[in-house]
Amino acid sequence: MEDLKRTLKEQIIESLNLEGMSPDDIEDTAPLFGEGLGLDSIDSLELMVLLERNYGIKIEDAREGRKVLESVQSMAEYIKEHRTV
Amino acid sequence: MMHPIYISATSIISPQQNFEYEDFLQDIKSSDDGTLFIIDPNYRDYINPVAIRRMSKMLKMGISTGMNCLQQAGITTPDAIITGTGRGSMVDMEQFLMDMIKLEEEALTPTAFIQSTYNSVNGWLALNTKCKGYNQTYVHRGTSFELALLDAQLLLNESNSYKNILVGCYDEITPDYIKVKSKIGYWKNPVPDSTLDLFKHNDTNGTIAGEGAAFFTITNNKEQTLCSINTIKMLQDANIDDVNNSINEALTANGMTLADVDVLLCGMNGDARQQPMYNAIIENTESNTSIAAFKHLCGEYDTSSGFATWIASNIFKHQSIPEILLQKKGEHSSVKNILLVNSYILNSTSIILYRSIS
Repeated sequence: MEDLKRTLKEQIIESLNLEGMSPDDIEDTAPLFGEGLGLDSIDSLELMVLLERNYGIKIEDAREGRKVLESVQSMAEYIKEHRTV
Repeated sequence: MMHPIYISATSIISPQQNFEYEDFLQDIKSSDDGTLFIIDPNYRDYINPVAIRRMSKMLKMGISTGMNCLQQAGITTPDAIITGTGRGSMVDMEQFLMDMIKLEEEALTPTAFIQSTYNSVNGWLALNTKCKGYNQTYVHRGTSFELALLDAQLLLNESNSYKNILVGCYDEITPDYIKVKSKIGYWKNPVPDSTLDLFKHNDTNGTIAGEGAAFFTITNNKEQTLCSINTIKMLQDANIDDVNNSINEALTANGMTLADVDVLLCGMNGDARQQPMYNAIIENTESNTSIAAFKHLCGEYDTSSGFATWIASNIFKHQSIPEILLQKKGEHSSVKNILLVNSYILNSTSIILYRSIS
């Protein structure tokens, strides 16, 4: 799980082009949107694509997507349970 | 005949200098690989850090040059925003297309697609300045900037409700663009040892690649402006006679002859197929006319007329022509009239007449 979270943080930094950030700067449970990393709605689309590309996960329900994308912790848990690749 | 329009402020990002420097073409840059890339300013002074991380080079240079130009003019919100780009954001477009192939049209990221649209720069500028007025992006290859200027002239001639219009242009090059265009003979092969030697090689085909952004605030009130733009003409697939006739038409319409032109600013790009046209125009000039060229400084790109317009504005402002531009020094005592003749590759030619305010 720890390895998955670190990989996920690296993928988030790369796909969202978060210049000057390292995985250590992102807390596992910190909110990704709003107060935490300050991501926005376009970033949420990028993260959905990240899940599909790297883990074969397609989230069709927006409400479910909102819960999954709350934090790195929630994403990692969802990936662990639903990944197909 | 339309009334002239006036340039009140300029801003530039080019391979030579950007708006962070005050000198006018003094510290000259060159390259030995036949390409001239822009000098990046500090974009974070003009673009929100959260937004900047998604932006390609073209978006960053377009937005920051536009915002800097408005800042220099002391304008918070322009009445209209009109720009031209020959190709738009090549970086985003290439990324999106490559992803489509690589991922077999599945799981494509939205950012590259959203930002690759031609009017992204205008959209960002409108949001940043809260400009709800006329907003237009011209994408017409080698005449994109000229059409943006002409549209501004039409607006200012037709309606008194427009006072200040932001007009600009931007184009970027990428390694893939250079590779693809080399296959159809765009570039010199072998490349000159220095881009500054471009005109020493005007007996062979091809040119050098370049990029840049230039913005201008355009108004119909000549007070405190740098120069006027009196005539804008565009020709497609024109021969030497067509170009000479158009030059004469442009000058006659303004009560001038070629003898009244103090500086002939030529868009010669070192390509042997274009040089005869410029030679024919230069042959018709008088000894008082200085001959200047600029593509050894910015390279060839669709909207290089923007770079030329920035040069013309600064020649009027400084009342001097930097040595690096001069092909022949004329006997004029001051600079009152500048005529730009610029061809893009082999199909479009534009003619712009700039005049001093005094």
